[in-house]
Amino acid sequence: MATLRRAWGIVAAVVLSLVVWSAAAFAQQAEPTLERIYRTGVLRVGMREAAPPFAFVDASGNHAGFSVDMAYLLAEKLSEWAGKPIRVQEVTVTPATRIPAVTSGIVDIEMGSTSMTAARELVIDFTLPFFVSETQFIVRKDSGIRSLSDLNGKIVASAEGTTNLQALQRVVQEGWFNPAAVMTVETHAMGFLSLQQGRIDAYFTDASLLVGLRASAANPDDYVIIPEAIHLEPYGWMVPENDSDWRDFVNHFFLWTLETGVFYEIYDKWMGPGSETEIPRSQAYEHYLQMVRWPGLDEAWPGRRQ
Amino acid sequence: MGNYVFRWDVLWTSPYKDWLVSGIGKTLVIGASAWIIALGVGIVVGMCRAAASRPLRALGTVYVEVFRNIPLLVQLFVWYYVVPPLFGTAFIRMPNLNLYVAIVGLGLYTASRVAEHIRSGLNGVGKGQYWAGLSTGLTHFQLYRYVIVPHSIRLVIPPLTTEFLTIFKNSSLALTIGVLETTGAANRISSSTFQGIEALTAAMLTYLVIGLTVVGIMSLIERRTRIPGLYGRG
Repeated sequence: MATLRRAWGIVAAVVLSLVVWSAAAFAQQAEPTLERIYRTGVLRVGMREAAPPFAFVDASGNHAGFSVDMAYLLAEKLSEWAGKPIRVQEVTVTPATRIPAVTSGIVDIEMGSTSMTAARELVIDFTLPFFVSETQFIVRKDSGIRSLSDLNGKIVASAEGTTNLQALQRVVQEGWFNPAAVMTVETHAMGFLSLQQGRIDAYFTDASLLVGLRASAANPDDYVIIPEAIHLEPYGWMVPENDSDWRDFVNHFFLWTLETGVFYEIYDKWMGPGSETEIPRSQAYEHYLQMVRWPGLDEAWPGRRQ
Repeated sequence: MGNYVFRWDVLWTSPYKDWLVSGIGKTLVIGASAWIIALGVGIVVGMCRAAASRPLRALGTVYVEVFRNIPLLVQLFVWYYVVPPLFGTAFIRMPNLNLYVAIVGLGLYTASRVAEHIRSGLNGVGKGQYWAGLSTGLTHFQLYRYVIVPHSIRLVIPPLTTEFLTIFKNSSLALTIGVLETTGAANRISSSTFQGIEALTAAMLTYLVIGLTVVGIMSLIERRTRIPGLYGRG
């Protein structure tokens, strides 16, 4: 009899905690991001560790890069809006975990080098594109590979969970070239290591990241980036779906950096002439950065929290 | 759950279904093959650890301490990224190298744990049995063959069940070296369709079914080999 009562007691406790937990989960879902940032004083940013020059880990072990600098600047602007200090909490993400991190609410924003695709837009919201990249590939110079057709019968690879892998698989299926195998790796660093070791013959990823990988090698001249693009993609930062106020804030932040010239300063710091990973801005990209701005920023933003 | 829309049909649509089926196959192959290595090597090392000869014991101890103190993930990376380049470019480009590495790495790691269970099984048969056997005129070999080993096998079946289960769970680490086993397939389905919950549920059910099957088999073995009155409620 006592055992039966105890069993019902346990069932009741489990049901009660499930109710409380789901209520808390729903409450968390419902709270707008800006409100949570204000309440906690923390901006949680998802940061990649091997996507130079946008987000990577430098020699001292700190997160660094274009998007990382932007994250800290965003926190400054949030502090102005909130009227109190907002600090950045760095949360490490990988290509495979970055979207779940946003949809599950682990991070308020993912700032790295995420390609904008229609499929991703359905589950998260992208901010305005801040960069345009092409999917190219890098090879060892002594392999003699200089074009896509040279890749017939070779081993190619890309990172799991990336649009580059999907693009690679698609062009192979469509017959652009005929490799011996398409392998996958977990991170760009492992992909480059596999290339160095001779395990693979070509590694496919965004051109900007290839420049960063090549620059990080001990002997960059032994590697060649082939400028044949199999895919074209804009980069955006990711925020949770359906949170317009937060997305508006980040978009206005991006436009503010363009208006004040801060964007170009940070761009040139990481990708300008003389930097380790020099990526010149094409004319189309410059025009885009002009056209995307809209007027009235000064009056409307950042304002003060109501 | 906010905006999440469940689409369970993703699981039986090609190509996602094929990834999942192929992944489950790989999990079974990795788990079973690694278990054979783990038993083979583990029994030998375990006997070394319980041996009378000191050099043999030392050899066994070195093996066990090396393989159980380094995290399995690190071991897999070493077997995949550090060791193959030493054998040249042709070796490193072998198709399915990552599958073989996963089997060998997982097998050797689990062998160190199996060895410990074997050792405790051998030592768990009381000293009394050992001396009694010798005093009735059995040779050392006969003693082990007819008294010690049958007894210790019954002792180690429960811990070995755990190791057998664990080897299937640990096989998921193979995804970090590019093997598309169950968890890797679920991840890839998740990133292609954004139906992560369905994919992970499929993976979870797969491991659950494998685990229950393993437990069922081992329970059967345990019941069939039970010696009545030896211990417990037998």
